[in-house]
Amino acid sequence: MSFDAVIIGGGINGLVAASVLARGGKKVCLLEQSGHLGGLAAPGPDGGARMAHLLYNLSPLVRREIGMDAHKWPFKLTPVSTVALNPDGPHVVIRGQKAQLADGSAHPEAEAYRQLNGQLIRYADILRGLAEGGPLGIEGRLSSISGLKELWRLGRIGRKLKRIDKSEMRRFLQMLLSNAYDLILDDLKDGPLAGMMAADAVRGGFAGPRSPGTVFSLIYRMGHGGEVTWPEGGMGAVVTAFEGAAQKAGVDIRLNAGVARILLAGDRVRAVETTGGDVIETKTVLSSTGALRTAHMAGVDAFDIEAARRLRNIRVKGTVAKINLTLTKPVSVAGLTDDMCPARLVLAPTAEYVERAFNPAKYRQMSEAPVIEALRIDAQTFSLMVQYAPVDLDGGWTDAAKDKLRAVTLSALAPYLPGLEDAVAQAEVITPDQIEAETGAPGGHWHHAEMALDQLLTLRPANGMGRYAMGPEGLYLCGAGAHPGGDLMGLAGRNAARAALEVGK
Amino acid sequence: MSLFVDPKLGLIDGPVQPRLEAQSRAKSWYDWAGYAAPAVLDTVEFEYFALRNQASLFDVSPMHKYRIRGPQAQAMLNRMMTRDITKIGTNRVGYTLWCDEEGMVIDDGTLFRFADDDWRLCCQEQMLTWLLDAAWGFDVEITDESKEVAGFALQGPSTFAVLESAGWDVSALRPFDMAEVAPGILISRTGFTGDLGYEIWMPWDDALAVWDKIWAAGDLWGLRAIGYEAVDYARLEAGFLTAGVDFQPARGTERLHRGLTPYELGFGRLVHLDKGHFNGRRALLKAKDAPRSVVMKVDVEGFKPAKGALIYHRKKREVGHITSGLWSPTAKRNIALAHVQMPWAGKRPSDLWAEIYTLEEGKWDTRMARLTPIQGAFFAPPRARATPPARI
Amino acid sequence: MSLKSSYDAIVVGAGHNGLTAAAYLARAGLQVLVVEKNDWIGGAAVSRSLHEGWTYSNCSYVCSLLRREIARDLDLPKYGLQVIPYEGGATFTQDGDYFAYYSEKNALKREMARHCPRDADAYQAYNQAIMRQCRFIRPFLLRDAPDPTSMRPRDLGEMAYLVKKAHGLGKKELGETLRFWTMSIGDFLDEYFENDLIKAHLAGPGIIGTGLGVYSPGTAYVLLHHYMGDIDGGIGAWGFARGGMGAISNAIGACFEDHGGTIHKGAGVEEILTKNGQVVGVALEDGKEFYAPIVASNMDVKRTFLEHVDRYALPLDFTKAVERFKIRGSSAKLNLSLDRLPEFPAAPEHASFIRGDMHTSESLWELERAYDDWKNGTWSEKPYIDMLIPSQIDPTMAPPGSHMMTVFVQYAPYDLAVDGTRAGRNWDDAHRKAMADTVLDQIAIACPDIRDRVLHMEVRSPLELENEVGLTEGNIFQGELTFDQLFFNRPLPGYSQYDTPIKGLYMCGSSAHPGGGVMGAPGANAARAIIRREAKHTRMKGYAA
Repeated sequence: MSFDAVIIGGGINGLVAASVLARGGKKVCLLEQSGHLGGLAAPGPDGGARMAHLLYNLSPLVRREIGMDAHKWPFKLTPVSTVALNPDGPHVVIRGQKAQLADGSAHPEAEAYRQLNGQLIRYADILRGLAEGGPLGIEGRLSSISGLKELWRLGRIGRKLKRIDKSEMRRFLQMLLSNAYDLILDDLKDGPLAGMMAADAVRGGFAGPRSPGTVFSLIYRMGHGGEVTWPEGGMGAVVTAFEGAAQKAGVDIRLNAGVARILLAGDRVRAVETTGGDVIETKTVLSSTGALRTAHMAGVDAFDIEAARRLRNIRVKGTVAKINLTLTKPVSVAGLTDDMCPARLVLAPTAEYVERAFNPAKYRQMSEAPVIEALRIDAQTFSLMVQYAPVDLDGGWTDAAKDKLRAVTLSALAPYLPGLEDAVAQAEVITPDQIEAETGAPGGHWHHAEMALDQLLTLRPANGMGRYAMGPEGLYLCGAGAHPGGDLMGLAGRNAARAALEVGK
Repeated sequence: MSLFVDPKLGLIDGPVQPRLEAQSRAKSWYDWAGYAAPAVLDTVEFEYFALRNQASLFDVSPMHKYRIRGPQAQAMLNRMMTRDITKIGTNRVGYTLWCDEEGMVIDDGTLFRFADDDWRLCCQEQMLTWLLDAAWGFDVEITDESKEVAGFALQGPSTFAVLESAGWDVSALRPFDMAEVAPGILISRTGFTGDLGYEIWMPWDDALAVWDKIWAAGDLWGLRAIGYEAVDYARLEAGFLTAGVDFQPARGTERLHRGLTPYELGFGRLVHLDKGHFNGRRALLKAKDAPRSVVMKVDVEGFKPAKGALIYHRKKREVGHITSGLWSPTAKRNIALAHVQMPWAGKRPSDLWAEIYTLEEGKWDTRMARLTPIQGAFFAPPRARATPPARI
Repeated sequence: MSLKSSYDAIVVGAGHNGLTAAAYLARAGLQVLVVEKNDWIGGAAVSRSLHEGWTYSNCSYVCSLLRREIARDLDLPKYGLQVIPYEGGATFTQDGDYFAYYSEKNALKREMARHCPRDADAYQAYNQAIMRQCRFIRPFLLRDAPDPTSMRPRDLGEMAYLVKKAHGLGKKELGETLRFWTMSIGDFLDEYFENDLIKAHLAGPGIIGTGLGVYSPGTAYVLLHHYMGDIDGGIGAWGFARGGMGAISNAIGACFEDHGGTIHKGAGVEEILTKNGQVVGVALEDGKEFYAPIVASNMDVKRTFLEHVDRYALPLDFTKAVERFKIRGSSAKLNLSLDRLPEFPAAPEHASFIRGDMHTSESLWELERAYDDWKNGTWSEKPYIDMLIPSQIDPTMAPPGSHMMTVFVQYAPYDLAVDGTRAGRNWDDAHRKAMADTVLDQIAIACPDIRDRVLHMEVRSPLELENEVGLTEGNIFQGELTFDQLFFNRPLPGYSQYDTPIKGLYMCGSSAHPGGGVMGAPGANAARAIIRREAKHTRMKGYAA
């Protein structure tokens, strides 16, 4: 058995990398350790949302390059309204850029919100130029071909910057480095609207909104317009589409095929050995699992000592637990006349609340008053992201700890969803350690490495590995741990595949 | 309130301080890894001649010593070192270098192989965290033995006889062999002088007794305790480099780009690019044929030691400097190590000059001295390699 | 002393930066007036006798960052400045032990090894990394921060200098530098060390004066901000100014007056006068008015523009940016007169480290929790303290045998939360006393007899610092040292070169690049900008030119 390239992991990034390589004329095999594709996007048994439950950042560029329709996704995306839950007043309903009060009246800060949000989306658009390519940085001399290409890209980003005026550009450079808490509260009063934005800024991360750099993670999610969408047919439809693209490109997809080792000859990739003992010969391996885990597969001795140290110093602590609720009877949101479905309910009454929820996570405790993003798929199905539930919980994620998390979550939601606690038929708790075990995402972290300023661009996943090549010839990282990160975007897979193709030329 | 000197400050005693203290006439101590070590005990010339002519004893206990044990010790060390250490036999000692990821030399040292899964590294720089980093992912255990193992360098043409008088038969030891001559006492035929010589390793607490035993045995053979300055003469004659003097250990500098590759230090033969991956290999592959500068041995015209002199090409363009220099009393030559930029250090370096400043009784002077590159050691007596060695 | 009514330039505020700017301007030949609201000069670099016989450095208390170039240009030793380095420091623990940070490397290594042999070895690599960052940043302190959006030759030139320095690092080191600048000090230390106590000791300078915790990104830079100074070239060393920190301001002030400058004390500025977008002078609280085409404000950017400049003279977005500027009170201060040296039962006899900076925080988590308290609007239950007894080295600070102790306290909020409200005015005597009690408990970890030693105690909450010195919220750096407020963003994007929207009006306080810490650099840099733009007939003289 021999392939031009082997892809490890059948999440979105793995599927995208495989498709791009196959469409580039390579004979590609994709190995997935579990019995299904999709990774964090993989649906539950009913096709719903098991882990990831919303789409923000699907990249049209990726869609075109893997041979899906050039103009639209092969599944229908429904915009999802957001409800910022308010404990002592009307909830705030956000549709697109419009914030209203639940009783239909105007939100006093609607204009301030629209302006701030619009500004963030504009800045996110600039940043997208950085995501749609390897991290900037000139490897060779300026006059080399690669140097000229980099300058061309820089020029394009520069042109985008030029379109905004000088004072806005200055503000962009300042804001990018600041913290979400201050940014939001400079323009909005602390309340559910501010809380919702603060929660969005830190979702999935090991950070509170006061941590410098969280404006970046807020903007990151807005790179494709900032719209929150739900795919009709659930996440299953998304995974099926990406799988279809890979198959159409001619990728040999193998399930239940974990990788035990990446075999090297001298300092180059020779083959991969599956957990079943099969040896697949190849000169190129793209791994979409965690960077450190990939390094272990290839053997630590294939890496320089400094590189190994950097890999194990990658900060990657998952902080989100997933709770999937099935109810015996419909439950609706108190204070909401319109029975919105799907709707995204955000429990983060203030930005301050979000920061306080983060405090215990620093000391390996779960939040007693958690930040919750509850996707109301229908009146009897809720998909919850509960934060903060740190992967390294003191004492570990025992059944008792999970029960506590479930109880804390339900009682936090109870005031907003009357009758919820009595209606629970099933409440599946998936903690970060389980996410890691099931998907290989290190630390159960969605992005495989914290999206902090010191782990972005050429520093992602680690200094010296920022351009997808990990060290041994032919070994690449194509998962969320690589630039530009995760969020079911597919750009890391696409960029890595292009880097591998470039070398093969 | 009076200010007293804090007793926790300053230098501490090594394992044989009482003997060194008693021998010290010059009262000249220097800081060697925090220990008070003798620069000179009485007179550097006489100490040097004892080393080259009879026998000398020098305490090397401040060296850093690390034990590497475990099933993957060999694999771990081979990934760290530039040379193929699997070629070092059991009960043999190998001279070795190791580099950072950029191919810059971190330090050099001697690697003792007790067994496949049991090694000791002896080196000048502190290396514990580096070894722990290097050991991560391997089934090995690293122990810092620096304060548990003491060492003496017994060097000079009569040293075999001294050991024999002490009752230790090392006649079968070839250069770089080692043997346990008594429980806990290990002798390796190694040294930093290029002469016949041995290094004796023992538990820290036994050091005084072993010193006394060697001391008594040396009575007939002109044994002399010496300080570092005499050793420094000898090592330069042998053409050995000193870390921090002739090159800057890559992890010890605050300023950037002070490191040198093994190729630039003239140790290309100790880099085995074909043994699989090792630390810095990818960088060294690129650096192999593109040295930026070279540390070379040179013969300096005239008689004035050239240490610190700047080097000029055609007496005009500054192209390097002398890192160590000495009038060699044994080789009868004005010898030096020169750090010279490329391309002036290329295949046939010529027209290189050292600008030597001299101060003689209140008068400063400067002269240009022609440098002639030398291959091999300045002084390498056959007695250093003879097995069994001669007694005198 | 007779006062003229018009000058070439007026400096508002006689803090060390204002005086530095004034002295450089006077040396360049300008007629300069400095106006100061207090009856004394120095701002936060001041020595005060609040208890007879004792001298307090009652705001800033130690010196390292003051640029050598400035001391030399202004010939400060001639005007009485003497800075004496001190010998290390220590962190004391609840269980009666300590970690001593000796400035002597062998003793330091042995002491680290006493707590953790591995960490003693790791310190070399840690120190190398920090020192490399210091070497990288130091040349930028006396240069202008370029405006990255500008195409002016000067900005392009400064930008090119930055790119050249960055490129010179090499790819790997540049990556490490970018990481360092964006990391938290906690994460940075965790990469090198295992021992909680060693980490806690080293982390302190990463949070001093900031509204950030040890695990907040950006605090590694704050640490660097405290390391990048030097005493006589010894990078990272700190020392005492003989006679207290006021000796620095007094020396700069004396230099200024020696060059013909005038200092008018006892009346603060009511308003900075402008006309048609040009500054024309200042009106003082006492009704006096002085006129000059150049005014440099040593006040922080918020105080300058929100309180002393006519709002209608400023562009709206500028005012908004000033309002957004973050300047948070996060620290307090205790100054103590002691009848004799307190006892340090844990310290061995003749310990040198009691002459250095002493602390009592034992772990990074303890420090992080102290930050959580501050976020909640209270002073830390277990604050980080930085205490020194300068009178052991400086005989001028207290009567023989008696001592002066300075205790810096992190964290204490400006807007103290009391009964559901958060406001500076909540700092009343009862709360000040309660905070002092908390701090004395911390001090007692090191010296249990401290309460018996106290003859007099000055307790300064952020409110006092604001009221007396004029620092908004009592922030010691005149503005948070976060990425979005550093370098070309300091104090505001587009205004990083000491200029303001009002022609002739400049900023010379530590709100401006490169920030605070008794560096003098903002003052010297501002003077350079002023001379370059406004006084083309003259030239700035000296190493800071």
